[in-house]
Amino acid sequence: MRNLIKLTTLAAVSALALSAPAFAGKSDNSVVMAYDQAPESVDPFFNNVRIGVIIGQHVWDTLIYRDPITNDYKGQLAKSWKWVDDRTLEVELRQGIKFHNGEEFDADDVVYTLNFVSKPENKVTTQQNVSWIEKAEKLDKYKVRITTKKVFPAAIEYLAGPVVIHPNEYYEKVGPAGQNDKPVGSGPYKVTEYVPGKSIVLETNPDYFADSPKPKPTIGKVEIRFIPDRQTQMAEAISGGVDFIMHVPKDQAEQLEAAPHLQVVSGETMRIVFMQMNSQEGTPAPALKDERVRKAIIHAIDRETMVKEIVGKGSRVINTICFPSQFGCTDHGAPKYPYDPEKAKALLAEAGFPNGLELDIVAYRERNQTEAIIGYLQAVGIKANLRFLQYAAMREQIRGNKAMLTHQTWGSFSVNDVSASTPVYFAMGDDDISRDPEVRDALNKGDNSVDPAVRNASYKEALTRIAEKAYAVPLYSLPVYYVATADLDFRAYPDEMPRFWEMTWKK
Amino acid sequence: MIGYILKRLGLALLVALAVSAIAFFLLRMSGDVAIAIAGEGARQEDIELVRRTYGLDRPLVVQYVEWLWNTLRGDFGTSIYFKTDVATLVFAKLPTTLLLGVLSLGFALLVSIPLGVLAAVYANSWIDRLALAIAVVGQALPNFFFALILVMLFSITLRWLPVSGSKTWANFIMPTIALGYYVAPAFMRLIRAGMIEVLSADYIRTARAKGLPTRKVIFKHALRNAVVPVVALTAVQLGFLLGGSVVIETIFALDGLGYLAYQSITFKDFPVMQVIVLMLSVLYVLLTLAADIANAWLDPRIRVA
Amino acid sequence: MTSEPLSLPAAAEPTAYSRLMRRVLGQKAFVIGIGIVAAIVLIALLAPVLAPHDPYLQNLSARNVPPFWYAKGSWVHPLGTDQLGRDYLSRVIYGARISLLIGISVVIISGLIGTTLGLAAGYFGGKVDMLVTFLVTTRLSMPVILVALAVVAMIGGSLWIVILVLGFLKWDRFAVVMRSATQQVRSLDYVAAAEAAGASTTRIVLGEVLPNIAPHLIVVATLEAASAILLEAALSFLGLGVQPPLPSWGLMISEAKAYMFFSFWLIAIPGTALALLIFAINLAGDGLRDIIAPEGRS
Repeated sequence: MRNLIKLTTLAAVSALALSAPAFAGKSDNSVVMAYDQAPESVDPFFNNVRIGVIIGQHVWDTLIYRDPITNDYKGQLAKSWKWVDDRTLEVELRQGIKFHNGEEFDADDVVYTLNFVSKPENKVTTQQNVSWIEKAEKLDKYKVRITTKKVFPAAIEYLAGPVVIHPNEYYEKVGPAGQNDKPVGSGPYKVTEYVPGKSIVLETNPDYFADSPKPKPTIGKVEIRFIPDRQTQMAEAISGGVDFIMHVPKDQAEQLEAAPHLQVVSGETMRIVFMQMNSQEGTPAPALKDERVRKAIIHAIDRETMVKEIVGKGSRVINTICFPSQFGCTDHGAPKYPYDPEKAKALLAEAGFPNGLELDIVAYRERNQTEAIIGYLQAVGIKANLRFLQYAAMREQIRGNKAMLTHQTWGSFSVNDVSASTPVYFAMGDDDISRDPEVRDALNKGDNSVDPAVRNASYKEALTRIAEKAYAVPLYSLPVYYVATADLDFRAYPDEMPRFWEMTWKK
Repeated sequence: MIGYILKRLGLALLVALAVSAIAFFLLRMSGDVAIAIAGEGARQEDIELVRRTYGLDRPLVVQYVEWLWNTLRGDFGTSIYFKTDVATLVFAKLPTTLLLGVLSLGFALLVSIPLGVLAAVYANSWIDRLALAIAVVGQALPNFFFALILVMLFSITLRWLPVSGSKTWANFIMPTIALGYYVAPAFMRLIRAGMIEVLSADYIRTARAKGLPTRKVIFKHALRNAVVPVVALTAVQLGFLLGGSVVIETIFALDGLGYLAYQSITFKDFPVMQVIVLMLSVLYVLLTLAADIANAWLDPRIRVA
Repeated sequence: MTSEPLSLPAAAEPTAYSRLMRRVLGQKAFVIGIGIVAAIVLIALLAPVLAPHDPYLQNLSARNVPPFWYAKGSWVHPLGTDQLGRDYLSRVIYGARISLLIGISVVIISGLIGTTLGLAAGYFGGKVDMLVTFLVTTRLSMPVILVALAVVAMIGGSLWIVILVLGFLKWDRFAVVMRSATQQVRSLDYVAAAEAAGASTTRIVLGEVLPNIAPHLIVVATLEAASAILLEAALSFLGLGVQPPLPSWGLMISEAKAYMFFSFWLIAIPGTALALLIFAINLAGDGLRDIIAPEGRS
């Protein structure tokens, strides 16, 4: 089978690769990337899509930088920082940095940005990223004090991730809408052209400060084109119209490996996949209130085979709802539910559904994986009707208590701490559809303690209870496949962030 | 003539008005615009706040009248997803779609006129049959499927054409073919029928009897007459092509109105959707109006009827 | 997208075309068309008997098996398997059910709406006629695919939503054809005689007018069914129509398109099935029009 694919692929690809026309690439030091979804706004605070994070990290800087390999924190816009007490962080800023429009970077920018985004009325898209901030104050021109609402040790993670710094004078003048029209940041790339829904062009920021932990870019120009159709993206990659695509499904990536002018790089990401089962008060599927039904559902799904056959290299099965490398994430002591369709049927019969039952499942990405899940459920007598929606629409269903099963994924905004994942779905927030106060209390305890031992213990307690009660189906971590022109030297990171600033051309 | 035009114009206005109302109510009733505006992470109280601030708690009819008034004044509202002015967004994409529509139409005519003429001149011969076969097969091929085959052939195997985008003229070739081939059969049949009718008319037979060269008869006299109904059909077909561009523009990531329509549909971007539907409808109404007037001008009998 | 472009043009066109069809293909076209359609209907009806496997049964360790004519293919799965290891032949066979169900259901809904409007307009004339003509013009000026996409996206796609939306959108041609056919019948002597004899309007419409225009109704129905099937396929292709795991041909093309560069058969098989069905329906419809429409009708 695999040989055949290789053969046909070789035949198809080698014939065409000979005459690969150079649309872009090494010759003019530019990379064309294609992505399937256009961000609703370029301002990182007003979108929650991966491409928004990618653009954000190229065009803007954060106070702190987390090295993706060692996970060490380094100063980026900050020179140094220290916790004055449990809730107070003092940050000393770097001097002499300029934004793309020439505006000088100083404490005013930090204070303005943090205070602006943390106000709920300014409606930052992902409140999780900013709601921990109580206030920011200017101590002097290059020194600020940040106060958190509660004890919040993960603050550093957020300052090294989604919380970018805007130029205050410009932002005050143009607001989020203007920052979307003509984005101005201080990052290694600046936006030179942006057509909403079509493409965005990034060019090297020549004045980028040398001390930044992000190296000054080699690639001169990065054009990101929004191409919704997966096969159009692939066709572009095969024919040389595009140099870089990501989130390529496993099957397609494996086929493209045969093309001599392309390389396929894959790796695990922090994105976890799981299935929520609505068991809260007023659920449209009362059957899910029965623990046995929930356990039957977990037993029905062959996660090992899914990982091996359709999810792909770098993926692993998870047993608790968090990413293994996150601080506090563990599956020790948590019950595991191996693939066992017979047991699933028995549990269903015991729960009073000997002839199976019918449920809805909402999903928004990796439709083939949802279909496989549906197939497994069908095999034990659960007929699952798919409602495939846009993310926003799916969330609406969940928050409106209209969802039964959900095929969820969560990337934790690359924050390497459980506070960024499990509590989102189990601390009785908007997206929690199991609503167990015990779980919430344990998670809150973990979130709001500075003692690592206490945090670990509390998270473990919460994760174990979630597993024992089978509130959700932990599935697997998602890998990411990149397909790029063979000339490009780059590596894959678990945070799904292609870093164009460190990419180079192969000699 | 003026009276006729005025009457037709009045009807066209009425139709445009009706479409605007239908589009507005249909879209509003199939989804909640407040939830779409409030966006992700919105709590129930945020949604209620949006409902009040945007006046979405008022009766739909009131909202419709307000929307219509704003639209007539040229204020198309703000895109929920892209957060920019809808007018700017839509007018930036319109030229691409119009160009694609005109090109597809041109392609359809380029294929159908020679085929139709040949089929008529050699009626009932193998040429006629072949032309008919092309037409029947063409109409059975779904255009998205045909588009994929084109990509496979011209971009992947032969590597002649770029797959997607709208940067150069080469980007338009495959979308033009994929969109245009589907309307060609209608033209072909019309031209063939018209040509057969004209060729059997007395004055053509006279011309031929007088010894005028066949080619001259066909192209100078017959085709000119057979083409008249085609002009009317052209306007109508252009309207259909604009609607059909949604699928084709999405496949080829051609940055036009159809692609924008698809994006706004997936993002529940009501204001953009409403404007695009209205715009395509008005375009269609105007085109048919133009065709009607052209027809009346060409054929005075219609004016009386 | 649809065969709509054909509908409006000119009243003279169908005649010219039917004359052409008769001359070129005679009744052969109709026979071939109806033969293929009948075969597909039979396949759809006998799907449980004909399909070698359950079309929903997945097997993740036997995915993307090629059809039998490839070296690695086998007769266990004559047309291979899809990306979840489901038997492709079985899915194509069951797909015929979906397409036919959609074609027939949409035509029933739109036929009822369009015929009622057309009959009323043609029979009563005057104000009623003006109103119906206005409705038809309005409907025609709305881009079907766009409106269908938008509404389906809002409400959420499912088989019945798609059927209802298309049914309520595609009645225009029924109305146009019914209207002019009714007008003709109405002017015939025996209708006038029935009227003079004091028969009720309902009786005249149902007893005299409808049977006379039924043949036209059938022709329009076939062509509209083809167009509805194509529209569903287009919606499903964009992911906004029928939902997986239903084996709709449009959805199968949509799911297979990412595989087309290396496994072309995955889109070629459902694509061909779809094209064949549309081709056959159109052929049958054209042939039927040819048979029932005597020359000289204008």
